[in-house]
Amino acid sequence: MYKLTGALCIIGGCGWAGLKVAGVYRRRAELLRCLQNGLSFLEAEISYGSTPLPLALRRVGEKLDKDSGALFTRAAQILCLNKGATASEAWEEGIKLLNGNIPLTAEELSILTMFGHGLGNSAREEQLKNIALVRQQLGMAEKKAAEARVKSEKMWQYLGFCLGGVIVLVFI
Amino acid sequence: MAKVLINQERAGVTERNRSKIRTAPSWLEALTPQLRGYTEECLGQYMGEIEEIRLRIGRPVLYRLGQQELTFDRDKKLTDRLEQGYVISRQELDRNLEILSQSSLYAWEDEFRNGYLTIPGGHRVGLAGRGVLDKGIIKTLKDISGLNYRISREVRGCADEIMPFVVCGGHIFHTLLVSPPQCGKTTLLRDMIRQLSDGMTKRSFMGVNVGLVDERSEIAGMYQGEPQFQIGLRTDVLDACPKAQGMIMLIRSMSPRVIATDEIGKAEDVEALYQALQAGVTVLTTVHGSSLLELRERPFLRELVNSKFFERIAVLSRRKGAGTLEAVYDGKTLERMR
Repeated sequence: MYKLTGALCIIGGCGWAGLKVAGVYRRRAELLRCLQNGLSFLEAEISYGSTPLPLALRRVGEKLDKDSGALFTRAAQILCLNKGATASEAWEEGIKLLNGNIPLTAEELSILTMFGHGLGNSAREEQLKNIALVRQQLGMAEKKAAEARVKSEKMWQYLGFCLGGVIVLVFI
Repeated sequence: MAKVLINQERAGVTERNRSKIRTAPSWLEALTPQLRGYTEECLGQYMGEIEEIRLRIGRPVLYRLGQQELTFDRDKKLTDRLEQGYVISRQELDRNLEILSQSSLYAWEDEFRNGYLTIPGGHRVGLAGRGVLDKGIIKTLKDISGLNYRISREVRGCADEIMPFVVCGGHIFHTLLVSPPQCGKTTLLRDMIRQLSDGMTKRSFMGVNVGLVDERSEIAGMYQGEPQFQIGLRTDVLDACPKAQGMIMLIRSMSPRVIATDEIGKAEDVEALYQALQAGVTVLTTVHGSSLLELRERPFLRELVNSKFFERIAVLSRRKGAGTLEAVYDGKTLERMR
């Protein structure tokens, strides 16, 4: 009885870990798609409303889901504190929070960080060009993430349980 | 140096404005944390007297307090030896610009075109840089090289002295304030607007609807649609609107009893004033100048004075501090009333 419970625990634990890893692939692809949507919203705020950045970021954050909205909301919160933080610094804090929830690749982090450096500090046309460029880059990153997901998601879903099974067999 | 500063008799120094600004120096938030810290450390007790802060790349930060210019040196000591002052770097100026614009330069393109931004608290920051032209007209400014923080003051009650000349038995006179720059005409006009709008219990004057055309966002200090100064319960503001167009718009749309605006001088302004007169609206306005004589030498203003448009002409100076009421003339007879 104890053996059976132990075996189930090991298989369950490993399976759960495998599902978590598989989930990261899925969530990362979704996150990149949501971020592109967020940038489209930001583009609209800048283009049509000339909305000041703290308010624009807050509004975008409210429209997105929890994971992707965290980036915009966190940046808006820091800017609203009036403690002298620049948009770039606030955006980086947002990226840290985002990366803490869903690990991003170095390339994806680099795209987002570069975008932050130009955020809010130029005329409208340049801001819009910058947003369009980053959206395009995120689109490419999303494709890569989707490919990685196809390759790895299923594998990790099964691999966890299989690994658990192997461990159980070794111990038996 | 300190002796000069501590001279309490200096014009414009009052305990009232000192304590007031100590509690709410909202303009401090538009400086970088470093500069904010230095300003608080070095000028903490004189915060209420700062009228301007000038930041120029490669040159020392300058604080103007009344007629005096000060800076702080590398040891963070206040000094009037400006050459020893703390030098502003390009990075520091850019960071200031980013902070005061809330990292939203794109949102202030009209303001950049006009050369200034209004920040919370109704203060204005003047910009100097390189003009970007489009068909000979300034499209925007880039490579910003200098910032001038102009700290606005609200002195409630500063119009008490002039109001008996402006309002008499329920009648409000067309009034022109004549003043050189930095003598408090905008502050005085703002308080006049407030008193006319809210009413004056002591003078048994019920408030009236006031239309304010605030072309340069100085009088109401509008920031994101909200006035940053007390301008009265019955005041409607047309912000950042050309004066002449704004006056006509307000007359048509808001039926004000009084129209107020700042710094008239163009032909179209004069035309709009006559339209206000025909609509039975009283006009309060200001003009740059130091005397009635000077006014009568200017093309469009001479016409206004000679046609006896204004019933009251008040001349301001800085003789006893900003907002000193030098004289009030009857606009019809040009006799001095005070």
